[in-house]
Amino acid sequence: MLRRTTLREIRGSLGRYLAMLSIIALGVGFFSGVRETTPTMVHTVNEFWQAQQLYDLRLVSTLGWEDADVDALRTQPDVRYAEGSHSMDILCDGEEREFVLKAHSMPENINLVRLCEGRMPEKENECLLDADMNSTLGIGDTLRISESNDEDTKDALNGTEFTIVGMAESAYYFNHERGTTSIGNGSVAGFVYLPAAAFALDHYSEIFVRFDQDMQIFSDAYKDYTEEKTDVWETLTQEQAETRYTRVLTDAETELADGRAELEEQRADGQKELDDAAKELDDAKAELDDASKTITDGQKELDDSAKKLADSKTKLDDAAAQISDGETELAKAKKEITDGEQQLADAKAELDASEKKLTSSKAELDASEKQLTEGETALKDGQAQLDAAAADLETQAASLAAQEEALSAKEQELAAQLPYMDQLPAAQQAALQAAQAELTEGRTALEAGKAQIAAGRESLAQQQAALDAKKQELAEGRKAFEEGKKAYDAGAAQFAEGKAAYEASLATFTEGKAAYEKSAKELADARTAYETGMQQYEDGKQQYDKGVQELADGKKDYEEGLQTYNDGLADYEDGKAEFEEKIADAEAELADAEAELADLETPDTYVLDRSTNIGYACFESDSQIVEQVARVFPVFFILVAALVCMTTMSRMVEEQRTQIGTLKALGYSEAAIMGKFMFYSGSAALAGCVLGFAVGNVLFPSVIWMSYELMYIQLPLRFVFDWQLALLAAGASLLCSLGTTWAACRMELAETAAGLMRPKAPKAGKRVLLERIPFLWNRLKFLQKVSIRNIFRYKGRFFMMVIGIGGCTALLMTGFGIRDSIAGFADVQYGEIEVADASVTLASDLGEELPASLMAQLDDLTEEYLPLRQSSWDLSTDLRTRSVNLLTPSAADGLDHFLRLHTQAGEALPFPQSGEALISTSIADRWGVAAGDEITLRDSDLRKLHLRVTGVFENHVYDYVITPPETITAQLGAPPVWNTVYVNFPAQADVYQASADLAACEDVTNVSLYAELQARLGKMMSSLDYIVLLVILSAAGLAFIVLYNLTNINITERIREIATIKVLGFFRKETSAYVLRENLALTAAGILLGLGLGILLHRFVMAQIVVDMVSFRIRILPMSFVWSIVLTFVFNMIVNFFMGFKLERINMAESLKSVD
Amino acid sequence: MHAFVELQNVRKVYRTGELEIHALRDVSFEINKGEFCVIVGASGAGKTTILNILGGMDTLTSGSAWLDGAEISAYTKRQLTAYRRYDVGFVFQFYNLVQNLTALENVELAAQICRDPLDAAEVLTQVGLADRMKNFPAQLSGGEQQRVAIARALAKNPKLLLCDEPTGALDYHTGKAVLKLLQDTCRSTGMTVVVITHNQALAAMADRIITVKNGTVENMRLNQHIVDVADIEW
Repeated sequence: MLRRTTLREIRGSLGRYLAMLSIIALGVGFFSGVRETTPTMVHTVNEFWQAQQLYDLRLVSTLGWEDADVDALRTQPDVRYAEGSHSMDILCDGEEREFVLKAHSMPENINLVRLCEGRMPEKENECLLDADMNSTLGIGDTLRISESNDEDTKDALNGTEFTIVGMAESAYYFNHERGTTSIGNGSVAGFVYLPAAAFALDHYSEIFVRFDQDMQIFSDAYKDYTEEKTDVWETLTQEQAETRYTRVLTDAETELADGRAELEEQRADGQKELDDAAKELDDAKAELDDASKTITDGQKELDDSAKKLADSKTKLDDAAAQISDGETELAKAKKEITDGEQQLADAKAELDASEKKLTSSKAELDASEKQLTEGETALKDGQAQLDAAAADLETQAASLAAQEEALSAKEQELAAQLPYMDQLPAAQQAALQAAQAELTEGRTALEAGKAQIAAGRESLAQQQAALDAKKQELAEGRKAFEEGKKAYDAGAAQFAEGKAAYEASLATFTEGKAAYEKSAKELADARTAYETGMQQYEDGKQQYDKGVQELADGKKDYEEGLQTYNDGLADYEDGKAEFEEKIADAEAELADAEAELADLETPDTYVLDRSTNIGYACFESDSQIVEQVARVFPVFFILVAALVCMTTMSRMVEEQRTQIGTLKALGYSEAAIMGKFMFYSGSAALAGCVLGFAVGNVLFPSVIWMSYELMYIQLPLRFVFDWQLALLAAGASLLCSLGTTWAACRMELAETAAGLMRPKAPKAGKRVLLERIPFLWNRLKFLQKVSIRNIFRYKGRFFMMVIGIGGCTALLMTGFGIRDSIAGFADVQYGEIEVADASVTLASDLGEELPASLMAQLDDLTEEYLPLRQSSWDLSTDLRTRSVNLLTPSAADGLDHFLRLHTQAGEALPFPQSGEALISTSIADRWGVAAGDEITLRDSDLRKLHLRVTGVFENHVYDYVITPPETITAQLGAPPVWNTVYVNFPAQADVYQASADLAACEDVTNVSLYAELQARLGKMMSSLDYIVLLVILSAAGLAFIVLYNLTNINITERIREIATIKVLGFFRKETSAYVLRENLALTAAGILLGLGLGILLHRFVMAQIVVDMVSFRIRILPMSFVWSIVLTFVFNMIVNFFMGFKLERINMAESLKSVD
Repeated sequence: MHAFVELQNVRKVYRTGELEIHALRDVSFEINKGEFCVIVGASGAGKTTILNILGGMDTLTSGSAWLDGAEISAYTKRQLTAYRRYDVGFVFQFYNLVQNLTALENVELAAQICRDPLDAAEVLTQVGLADRMKNFPAQLSGGEQQRVAIARALAKNPKLLLCDEPTGALDYHTGKAVLKLLQDTCRSTGMTVVVITHNQALAAMADRIITVKNGTVENMRLNQHIVDVADIEW
């Protein structure tokens, strides 16, 4: 019977029952859903990976592996499969540009691929393509291996074209990351599986090992197992690699030795053959040479004889001519001799005549000479007489001149006295006249003297002239004499000459006559000799002609021999060339092999477990995020569910007070009565628990999986059922419903039946604290006072409401805050901090200055660039050693075009000086380093840098320490070598093209575009959006259920009151306001609490979400505050809106009913 | 021209699924202004339905109801609310005081929504509760609570005071006192008071007595021998 009333009770108060059921469902659903999300996802992926036999260990050796190694390792204990695999990066021709694919050999047992469509490759030239690849290539298309692959790559593949026969997913590539490569544009576009036969390689690039276990991925058991195995296998692998090394070395050496021996042998054989041939040829050559010499000699002899013959002929001819000349001359000489005899006789006569003439001339000459000498002596005497007369004359002339002078003087004196003569006494005048007369006398005497002299002179001159004529005559006579004398001398000489000539001629004649006679004799001899010579010549000529014939024959034979020889020689040269080439090739091959062997180093091996697989690692950390979030949220829901149960049940027990009393009066036991309520709440809790568990377990993982599916291979979820969790949830929900029921019932049941039968005194109105502050209280409107009093009247409800609403707001804020913190950090990182377009990684050995070619390329392709040094150092703190990136920009100026250094608050930081450093926020936050601290960095060579931290700059990706180059120079003794370049491309440039161009540069090993990084990070974090959505939805659910439940209770409890005020004529709005104003006030209070709570919760949750290498910017944007508040209010409004209908439906007749 | 309160051929049918319950068949009566009227009848006779209709809490199926010249049966929901607000005062059997408000506040609750309310404190003084104004209902006796309820109804200064079994939950003496208060109010203020009760004895004190039976008015008469409340025995 009781059961029937209970069921009816449930039916009657379905809303309340359902509210309780749903809050428990929500609590359990959220709790179990969020809890189970990670296990569900892990389970799903685990099943996939187990099915696809994801490898446990990946063994890599720098030397590669062979089948023997694989076989050896396969025999190890616990190995289920071991499989060698090829993999390489290849460039493929795309529609516009080349793209890089990671080519793998088709797996047999490990890392199986899952075919999405098409079929497995069957032939060597067929392949499976990455189904996830963004490409137009599809089944039936041909994948072309690009020509621009390097030779090694091209050689490693059999064929350049592969037909795509299927699209596949691979366990090895669980997420969409395909990794990076050093070729092409640096990023791998997808994978391609080729049949093993398509690889022309003699060694595997890696061995995958699958142990004989199926432990859950990420489980501790598996981690321990792997760790243990890794330790063992590291040794094992190294040993195996060394075995291979030894084998390779030995094989290669043996092979090399064999090769060399063979080469030597072949070389010897070939050489011998060649030598024989050469010898034969040489013999032939010698023979030919002899022949040639013989011929030449013969020819020469012939030529000599011909010459000789010609000479003798000439000589003979000359001789003949000479002989005839001699005869002519001889005849001529005979005549001359005759002539000469005549001439000589004539000359003798002439000479005799001349002698006679000469003697007469001599006598003549002697006579004239005597005459001449007499004349000359007479002349000389005359001259002397004349000269004496002349001198005498001159003396007279001189005395005369003196007389004249004296006379002249007396004349002058007289002349002077003359004018005065009249005046003079007559004496004197007579004297004077006497004097004058004397004078005139004197003059006359003088003049006579003078005339005498002149006459003297004349005769003298005449005598002189006669003398001179005589002298002339004499001179002429002398001259004639001289001439005659000369002519005589000449004639004498001539005569002497003629005589000599005569005598000479005579001698010559005599000689000539003798010569003639001798010549005549000689001539006769010559003629005889000539005739003999002629005879000889004729003989020689005959002999010569014969020789010529012989030579011509010999020559012909020789030509033939030479031809044969030349042919033989050509054959020989060809053979030799061929031989040499072959030998050179073989030697080069051997040298290569030797060089290779020399280069062959002891192999390094790596034992890589699953955590090095990017899909595995990403999935682990991604799934952990949910798990970490899962730890926090459910607490709220459980708490709220408990509160809701408590309120509901106490209300119900209160309502059923009379009935309890009646039942008690009828004699039902307390337990039976309590059982009714227990059943009510317990069934609601159980049903809610089952519902929540079922829905939560499916819904939460599904929603979150939906978001993960964007990042990973799409797999149908395999739901897990966790008994323990189910029991825990059921236990918790039962505890919270039954416990509260029990608590509520205890109080009522303690009363007597009679007391219970009486209506319970309505809960007395109470004054609230505020009323004691008239200043405030009196200002309130009447209805506001009512509301305030009502709020504080039901304290339990008050707290529950505030906590529920506060929780809702806090959840919203956390949700939005997670998004703000996570979604924002990539934008902040690449929009406000690392603002460069790309970072270019350079080859390692470029030196202190960038190569000119690279600078030219950079100038050409980029707007601006800045070289820097990026290196990994260990930062030791008290906590532990942490690897950080040390950035050393080449210049502080312009750095902010690439990397902006500012604090979290946005203040710009000055660039550090030598010995100083800036550190990123992540280091500061996680490792407790602050500005002003001293830090020590150590690199792998144990070099140390001591730096003083001058500031902390905002940075979210990687841990950075920034110091100027001077620090490096000062502390390490050498300036830094740039290995990275920050670049900004021109505004209009196609950055992808530009980066590809840059990547193609020599010296550039990699180009990473920050836009791509940002997108990748953004995508990675987008999964969190779903979680945020889920949190928001849960918050909404929480708010609805709490508000609905409480308002519902509120209304039910006050139904008479509400009916009464309706009767009193409150309009609909007034009625709603009267009741729901309290909700609004409570919501406001809840929001206030929630804001504080939200900040704490957000911080806590963010602290749980740890993603490697990334530090989030813990923040809640103002808009998120606004949204949280607005949304909470909106939820409240929605509940109020629906509650308005409920109020409307309250029948006023209720006011007439009694209190039951 | 209608009487102050007039019901004409009012029918009220409740439908519960297939079942039709004729709560009122053909009710017609009139009450004049200032009269103290008692509607009496056994349980289920339909008196509460009449009260609901008069009080604007329920609509009728056919016929018409008038108050002070206005046809309330033609009112819309909102008009009905306004009607309750301005024209009618209610006194409930179980007082229906708001527990969370003091006596004074309960009166104010009604007064503050009216156009021309009486002073709450004054009204409470009139009903003899000057000392208990600041008390919460739980601190008052039943009679006192009913007085507060009456004061609440009066403070609205309504045209019509409707009382549903005002003594139903009170003991004999207290009931008498309450009735006395109502009668006095009617007499002193000229307020039209309608008391609904199953207690035939109370009819003696009314100006007009309307007897309801089986959903119809069995008898309506003016009381020629009005008995003072104190003299009524039941």
